Formats: sequence, C-alpha cells, structure tokens
Amino acid sequence: MKLRVVSKILDANERIAQDNRRIFDEAGVYVINLMSSPGAGKTSLLEKTIEGLAGTRKLGVIEGDITGTDDAERIDRLGVPVVQINTGGACHLDANMIYEVLEDLPLKDLDLLVVENVGNLVCPAEFQVGENMKVMVLSLTEGDDKPLKYPLMFQESSALIINKTDLKPYLNASVEKIRKDVLSLNPSIRIFEVSCKTGEGVDEWVNWLRTTIS
Amino acid sequence: MHEASIAQSLLEIAVRECEGSGYSIIESVKISVGKAAGVMPEALLFAFDAMKAGTAAEKASLIIDEIPVTGRCHSCGGEFCVEEKYVLCCPLCEGPSFTLLTGRELNITEMEVV
Repeated sequence: MKLRVVSKILDANERIAQDNRRIFDEAGVYVINLMSSPGAGKTSLLEKTIEGLAGTRKLGVIEGDITGTDDAERIDRLGVPVVQINTGGACHLDANMIYEVLEDLPLKDLDLLVVENVGNLVCPAEFQVGENMKVMVLSLTEGDDKPLKYPLMFQESSALIINKTDLKPYLNASVEKIRKDVLSLNPSIRIFEVSCKTGEGVDEWVNWLRTTIS
Repeated sequence: MHEASIAQSLLEIAVRECEGSGYSIIESVKISVGKAAGVMPEALLFAFDAMKAGTAAEKASLIIDEIPVTGRCHSCGGEFCVEEKYVLCCPLCEGPSFTLLTGRELNITEMEVV
C-alpha cells in the first residue's frame, strides 16, 4: 500500500518556532537571532547595543553557549534580564530550547529580545527560533573570503555588522570585497562597519535598530 | 547539516503517518532532498539505517530523490537549472538577484506500508 505524505522533515522545529513567534507577538517583543563565528564579537556588540538603547528601549537577552556562563554574566552586569542556555555540545540553538526558557524572561516588559546563538558560521542559520530577523557579525580578522565560503548565513540575515574595523590597517582583509560578495548573495542586506573596541560606527547600527524594532 | 537529527525527525513522522493510517510496517520511505538543502545523502542513509531498529521502519529502505537547484532571475527574467549547490549570480546574465524555485527541499513524499 502506498501512502502519499507531504511533510517537511524539519517541521517539528518550524512548528515550535511559529509557537514562539506567536508568544513574542502577543507580548509585543521584537526578536533578533544574533549569529557569527566564535569570537567575532556578538557579546561585545550586544554590550554596545544595550548602552546605545538605554533609556529608549527595554532589552532582554538569551545567551546560547556550549558551556559556561561568562556571556550571561557580562550582560547581567549591565542590568539587563538574561538567561543562559548551555547546549551541552549542540552547535546551534533550536526553537524548543528557546521555548523552554521563555518563562524565565519578563517578555511583556521588553521591547527587544536578542537571542545570541552559539558561535558557528553554519548551523545556526538552518534553524528558526521564532525570530523577526536574523543579524550576523563578521569580524575583519576572519578574512574577506568568508561570505562566499559560508553563503547561507549571509543569505538569511537582514543585517551584517562588520566588526573590528579598528584592525583594518594591520590586516589584508578588504571591506570592499566583503561588501561586494555579501551584496551579491543578498542584495537587500544592511551592512554596518563597526568597532566595538573604539565605538566607531556603533551609533549608526543602534539608530537603525531603534527604528526597525519600533 | 545534522543528518542524525534529520533521520530522527524523519522516522518520527513516518511512524506517526503509518500508525495513524492503521498500518504497522513501513517498507520504504521516499524523500526529496534539494541539492542546496545542506544534507549529505550518504550520511542521511547511514543515520537512518542506524536509527530505524526497534521501530515500525525497522526493515524500511530510504529512497532519496535529489532535487536540482533552479531559479528565476530578477534581471533577465530567465529560468535556470544548475549543477552546483550554491548559485551566486544568474548563470544566464550574471545578475545578482534571483528567486530560488527548487533546491532547498527536505520533504517526505511517499511511503509504502503494510
């Protein structure tokens, strides 16, 4: 007997992601899935973003790491509600991991929830968590060849932050090449050049974010 | 990608569909996998065979239909089909912007059950 079935294999994750999205919409909170390689500067960008939005937008953070609480402690010091997820080895966050911690956050009091994904340039882009948009960080020290080597995350993201621009004089990486390759993969992506170390370029990103989430 | 968790998900759906339709044994499962879905067919077959023991799909074979990457260009309006997994620009006019029509599928399409 032949059974016709048309079912998406990753349906389970997508279904939970849609449930999360409904919860976020009802609470009136905008959600960003923040992704990058390890060490590109996601947490540093978050710290700068929290400072930049202070007094105008209320933030909450979910930190995803394989192990440890260092990132959550950095966010906690800034007085922002934060939950740490330790994946215990998994290389990305999935929708169910997010669902499990939602009751630990004051969603109704928040304007913006940032989900800082596990550092990884491949897998996080494949799993929805219920976000409104994906944002990624690429640091100049990673090299300008990364967009064409790891295209999916660049294709899926609405904004790219090129970080560590203060190191430009010491590196061979070309910001122009990154821009050109990223725009060929994703013509509608917004690109920001930032140094979380010096603060250069942070305002432009924060202002864009403030308008986008309201 | 994550062939083991895909195989797990695939088995759960197949067993649920089989039992929900009043059957008890799955003989085969047919799936469509787009070339740009980021899934290695060999790894998926291996994971499926390793994980099916003790389920209604214990003796089932997994049949994988690979779907090519096709798209429609926003600049020239042409439709294309390529061998590569990733398309960076329209192969017809080199335009940067296009819509993928197929190639990202990861679906169960048909099962044989008794």
